[in-house]
Amino acid sequence: MRRAPIVITATVAGLVGVLAFHTSPARLGAGILPGGSGTSAPAGSSGSLQGQGTGSPGSPPPSSPTAHARPKGTAHAQSGGTRTATGPAVNYNYGALSVSVTVSGSKITHVGIASIDDGGLPRSQLIDQQAIPLLEQEAMQAQSANIQGVSGASYTSTGFQQSLQAALQTLGFK
Amino acid sequence: MGTVVTIDVYTATDGAAGTDLSRQLTTAQAILQRADAVFSTWQPHSPISRLRRGEITSAQAPAEVCEVLEQCAIARELSGGWFDPWAMPGGLDPAGYVKGWAAQKALGAFRASGICGAIVNAAGDIASLGGLGPGQPFRIGIADPFSPRRLAEVIYLTDSIATSGTYERGHHLIDPHTGRPSARAASASVTGPDLGLADALATAVAVAGAPGLDLVEALDGYEALIIALDGSRRWTRHFPFAPP
Repeated sequence: MRRAPIVITATVAGLVGVLAFHTSPARLGAGILPGGSGTSAPAGSSGSLQGQGTGSPGSPPPSSPTAHARPKGTAHAQSGGTRTATGPAVNYNYGALSVSVTVSGSKITHVGIASIDDGGLPRSQLIDQQAIPLLEQEAMQAQSANIQGVSGASYTSTGFQQSLQAALQTLGFK
Repeated sequence: MGTVVTIDVYTATDGAAGTDLSRQLTTAQAILQRADAVFSTWQPHSPISRLRRGEITSAQAPAEVCEVLEQCAIARELSGGWFDPWAMPGGLDPAGYVKGWAAQKALGAFRASGICGAIVNAAGDIASLGGLGPGQPFRIGIADPFSPRRLAEVIYLTDSIATSGTYERGHHLIDPHTGRPSARAASASVTGPDLGLADALATAVAVAGAPGLDLVEALDGYEALIIALDGSRRWTRHFPFAPP
């Protein structure tokens, strides 16, 4: 019998410069992520929707300064030193989303979408499904347990990062 | 850069996951942070932003900037001009190369000894060394551009793979010849020894379409797969397909 390798997973959010890793006896890829669909709301999330409903594909490109104020997040203490914070709903190209992050000590154990509002437009929903690379990966890896990663679908959302950054700042994560 | 990077390290035993590995992870993190600080076009005071505004020359910028721009020039040449960070509408933007370059550099923090393999995944652009174990290469899925929750293909990964697609809506899918958004493929994936170049080539092939395949075919060690707008596929001779 082949021994399942140990995997150490680290997540580095480029914008916030965070590293966290954990060991696990099970083989997993992006195992830090919540299960379920790309719009699942993890426990402890408290995102509130405040974005406009319709997407605006012509809105500023990622390299442009964004018009949003620096967001603030909310935090929840959980048992065992595990804390979850949810960033505010931040506009992205196709609506608004908020990101939740759970840390245990100095490790990120969970990153997820707390809320997402794309106005229900089919096109927006399509983009949403492609918008969150981590959740995307998780969903696809769940589909095929026998892969170690997914290439593609790398639309990077400014909103995702802003909300994540705010959530991490709320937790005092540097 | 502003992207999310995951790092997976595969070890055969618990023993290997010690302080040595922890240090390597920390080094990888520092490399990514540094790359972000230098190349983030989101941060107005990053060297790349200052360079874009003409406040500094590339000679005054940190050494990595020169290195990246040199590599971008090579990638532009190798891609027949289909990848051209100097032809972006907003001015110089090496983002199409930097993400892969940074992930490849971060991978360099890991030593092959003591671990089975490592994967640095920069939001879908993946650099790797080793595998699950001896004779067990990593298997990597390629996202289906028409159905984002499905895999279009699975490959055996030797070194790196990058995928670009029109669905990304990325600012790097610009036809350098016209300066306008353009793509002649739904997605393009490129495998090869260096993720920076693979990243640039994937962008080029996605923009160029079928002619891009010929360019990659001519490059030693690099292979490409195109998923066309009608869903049909074309690939170079040795594209590393794996059974699904």
